[in-house]
Parts: sequence; C-alpha cells; structure tokens
Amino acid sequence: MNPTLIIASLTIKEAVRRRLLVAFAAISVVIVGLSAWGFDRLSHAHSLTSGEANLAVPQALILFMFMFSFVLALSASAIASPAISSELESGVLMTVVTRPIRRTEVILGKWLGLATLLAGYAAAVCALEFGVVRLSSGFTPPDPVLVTLYLFAEGALLLTLALLLSTRIPVIAAGVVGVAVFGAGWLAGVVGSLGSGLNISALRTVGEVGRFVLPTDGLWHAAIYYLQPSSLITQQLSQGNGRNDPFFAQGAPSAAYLLWVACWFVIVLALAVASFERREL
Amino acid sequence: MSPSNSAERAAIDSGEPASTGASVRLSAASHSSPADGTPDPTVSPAIHAMGLSKRFGDTVAVDSLSMTVRRGEVFGFLGPNGAGKTTVVKLLLGLARPTAGEALVLGAPLGDREARRQIGYLPELFRYQPLLTASEVLRLHCRLLALPKATWEDEARSALETVDLLERASDRVGTFSKGMQQRLGLGVALLGTPALVMLDEPTSALDPVGRHDVRAIIRALRDRGSAVFLNTHLLEEAEHVCDRVAVIDKGRVAATGSLDELLGRHSRVRLRVEGLDGDWWAGLGRFGEWHREDEWLVVDGIEPSRIAGLVGELVALGGQVQAVIPEHQSLEARFLELLGGR
Repeated sequence: MNPTLIIASLTIKEAVRRRLLVAFAAISVVIVGLSAWGFDRLSHAHSLTSGEANLAVPQALILFMFMFSFVLALSASAIASPAISSELESGVLMTVVTRPIRRTEVILGKWLGLATLLAGYAAAVCALEFGVVRLSSGFTPPDPVLVTLYLFAEGALLLTLALLLSTRIPVIAAGVVGVAVFGAGWLAGVVGSLGSGLNISALRTVGEVGRFVLPTDGLWHAAIYYLQPSSLITQQLSQGNGRNDPFFAQGAPSAAYLLWVACWFVIVLALAVASFERREL
Repeated sequence: MSPSNSAERAAIDSGEPASTGASVRLSAASHSSPADGTPDPTVSPAIHAMGLSKRFGDTVAVDSLSMTVRRGEVFGFLGPNGAGKTTVVKLLLGLARPTAGEALVLGAPLGDREARRQIGYLPELFRYQPLLTASEVLRLHCRLLALPKATWEDEARSALETVDLLERASDRVGTFSKGMQQRLGLGVALLGTPALVMLDEPTSALDPVGRHDVRAIIRALRDRGSAVFLNTHLLEEAEHVCDRVAVIDKGRVAATGSLDELLGRHSRVRLRVEGLDGDWWAGLGRFGEWHREDEWLVVDGIEPSRIAGLVGELVALGGQVQAVIPEHQSLEARFLELLGGR
C-alpha cells in the first residue's frame, strides 16, 4: 500500500479508537434534535403567515448551519493541531519517519485521513439536519450537496492551516491560532459586508483581502448561497438588505475564486510539507 | 565480562593491528567481515562518518566525528549525558542535518530512503501508537517497510517472541509499562532483518532480567550478521556485548577501538618478590614501567601474555615469587580517564 494511504488509514483508525467520532456524533445528534423541535415550532407558528414561514425557515437554517460551520471549524482545528507536534513531542513519529517513507507522505497521509473524517462528519450532520428540516417544515435547500461540499471545504481549509502550524508550534498554540484565524476571517467578511452596505471602500477592501488571504468566509458565503431559496434572494434584494447582511449571499462563487481556493489548499499544504521536511527532529 | 565474550572479541579483533601505545588511536576504515576477519572491499561499512559536525547556534553538539562501524559488529557508542550521542544517532538517521562533514550509512548518503529499509531503530524516547495493540504496531511497521503481506504475521510473531511480549500481543500499547514499551520498540527495530540496528539507550527502562535479554538479542543480531550501533552510557552493557567502542565527550571522539585495545594496554601486574636486592628490575624495563607500592612491585602497561615470561625471568634471577596478581583496568576507570578524570 502507498505510504500516504498507510498513514491516512492509521490516522482514521486512531481517531475512531479515540472515540472522537462518537463524541462528535453524540453532540451533533443532540443539536440536530433540538433544531428539529425549533423548525417544527417555526413552520407551524400561528403568528406567521405561510409566506413568512417559508422565508423564516431558510433563514433559521442558515443560522443553524453557521453554528455548525463553527463547530466544524473547531473540530478541524482540534484534530489537526496535534497531528504532527503532539507526535513529535511524544516521540511516536520518530520511528515512523525513520522508515522508508517521505515526510511528504506523512503530511499528505495525515491530511487525507483527517479530511476524510471531516468529510464524513460534515456529510452526516448535513444529511441529518436537511432531513430533519424537510420532515418538520417541508423545506429543502436548493443544492444540499454543494452546501455540504462548501462547509466541508471551509473546515478542510482550517484543517490544512492547523496542520501547517502543527509542523512548527505546540498543540495548544496551533489550535488557538487556527480558531483565532478563523474568527478573524469571518470578522473580515462581516466588515466587508458592512463596507458594501455603507459604501465605505476601506472596509470593503478589508473584506475582499480577507476573502483571499483566508477563504473561509468566502466558502461560507458559497454555502449560504445554496441554502437560500430564490424567494429569499428576491426578497432580500428587493428590500436592499442583502449587501450588508453577513448571513446573505447575492451570488454563487466565481470560478476564479474557486480556483484561488484550490490554489490556497495547494500552497498551504506545500508549505506544511516544506516546513516538516526542513524541520530537524 | 564472560570468557566467551573475550573469545568472541579476540576472534573479531584478529584483523586489527596491534596496539601501539598508551594513547588511543582512531580506527581506520575497514571492510572486514566479522566472520573471518577478511576485508571485503565490495561491502561498504555499516557506518562511515568523516568529520561529521553539528552546531546548534553557538553550541557544538558534534565536533568533527570520524568513525567506522563494520558490518556485523556490535559497536558501542559511549559517553556521559549530554556528550552528543543522541545527536549523532539523529544525524546518522537523517533526522537532523550535519553542519559539516559527511557520512555513509550502509553505503548510502545520510537519510537515504532505500538504506532506511535496512535500518532498525529504537529511539531514546520510545513511544508507540497508544491506541494500537502491540501486534498492530508491528504490522504497521511491516507495511511501512513494504514487507510482503504474507510475512507480516510471522515477522510480528517472531518479534513479539524475541522480546517476550507474545502474551500481550493483543493489548493496547497505552496499557504497557515503560519497560514493555521499550521491549516493543526493540521488537519494532528487529523487523525485516535489518543490516544495521541502532539502539539508543535500549535498556534505560528495563529491569535486570530485561537488560540480560537485550544483551542476548544484541548477540543474536551479531550472529546473524547485523551491525548494531549501541548508544549507551552504561559501561557494563558495552563491556558485555560490544566488539568495539567509541568514547565521545563534548561532541568529540575521545577514543575508539576494541575493548582490548582500549583496556589491554593499561593492564598491570602486582608482584611480591623476595630474595633480590637493589634495583634489580632496572634490566627488566622492557616488560613495562616499574614502581613500588608498599611491599608490592607494580609493573604498569605489561601485556597480559608477557606476565608468565616475566615471572620466569624473576625466578632465573634468583627471586622467590610469592604472589602475582594481574590487574585489568576497568572500562569505568578507563572511561573516566578519557573524560579527564571526572
């Protein structure tokens, strides 16, 4: 078997035995269960007209998915930040890297294993949540697969960054920096939205730069776009609310932006590989 | 040191040039086969280091280290804590880069991927995947070594048997004591019949029984033709199993050679002789350096094989030899001497 796949399967096996998946699943089931109750109440609220309810449900789902994207980002950072540093500190990695295996394969194997876990978690929670929302309110997002994909990409992006940090700095520092950077990225997106709404070019620039430096907010907005029914988009645009609303996306991400995101992944992974290759153990 | 070890060492060292003086010399590059002492120029040494140096900022961890470890020999790398032993191991394994100099391991440059296939390594800080069982850890390393799948079971079982962990094969490593983890690490280092096994303080967590077992394993490795690079500060360990040793201090090699070379020149004999007067020993200076210690006469630097001849000459001179006590300098005494009497 390819050494990258050996490391990936080892990473998955260890995560499963660490009961990480069980813990995430348990938390997610509780949250999704609570959301099921909330969506049921919302869609059957007597104080709302059916039209209002049809708009309120997707907006509530966007808020829920925002919360989930945060959980996903935290999870990604939590599982990736110890991936290298912790195993170097404990010595576990020393006997692995002295085998006929490239350090590149160690990094790629770790990334592949962790990304597979993250993808499975994102897919399971999204499927559960969308199913619950459909059952309770009858609403299905326009493209649930793309929503899942963009949410996963957002988490994978942070996972990649945490893995890079893990090649150089201790576990806790890598985790904290990862989450802080994620928060900063989201904040830059909010600032950008405000800049657009208030027509302040400096703030708009902050948002634009932030979307490129750390594309998490860009991917979050891509996910939002595919969560919104056309009626919601029309209503927001007609009322002129969209431009300064951080929970609204006017359009799908451009191909150029998605290409940049792909490049971002490649660049940061290459940096992680180079950093680990150069590190003396 | 047991007589059998002495015999083994004598056989292995038979290809070595005779010791030439009290000072210790650096070993020359050699391609000797340990089986018959015949140099084989087609086989590269297990390790050949030339001027290997490593600096960390202003600190010199390894300073122009040159040494040769032959195939099939047990080479002890001795030194006090902080002497630079583990840094040398890391350089040889490609875990760290030398600041200067170069080295070949199994004939390949440092860090060579193919050479690593033939190297077993037990690190000083031995930790293995705590959530895997001992058997799974061994199979993982079989996979990383790209051994044929059909051999994994036998390799793992054989390693577990050798390190006496067969009964714990299905237990998670996280439940193991430090000693058991070190045994497992030794088992991992044995996988795939490596040509070179690098052991960094392999008995640091073991009880006396475990240490005895490790020595037996090291001898078995030599018997099957593997070279063993034994990094240790336990001199007794080196005395028991090593064919040759290098003593390192402050990153520099203070001495290298077989144990007999390191210690043999410093043997002495203590004599009690009656019936002779004056400086009668003045004509016997060829046997060593004479001096008196109370009622004893002491000859420093005498080769053990010449003691019988000396006694014969004393008798021929009319002396009554009452006692002859050969003394061999211990490795510890020699070690301390090399380190400047610490």
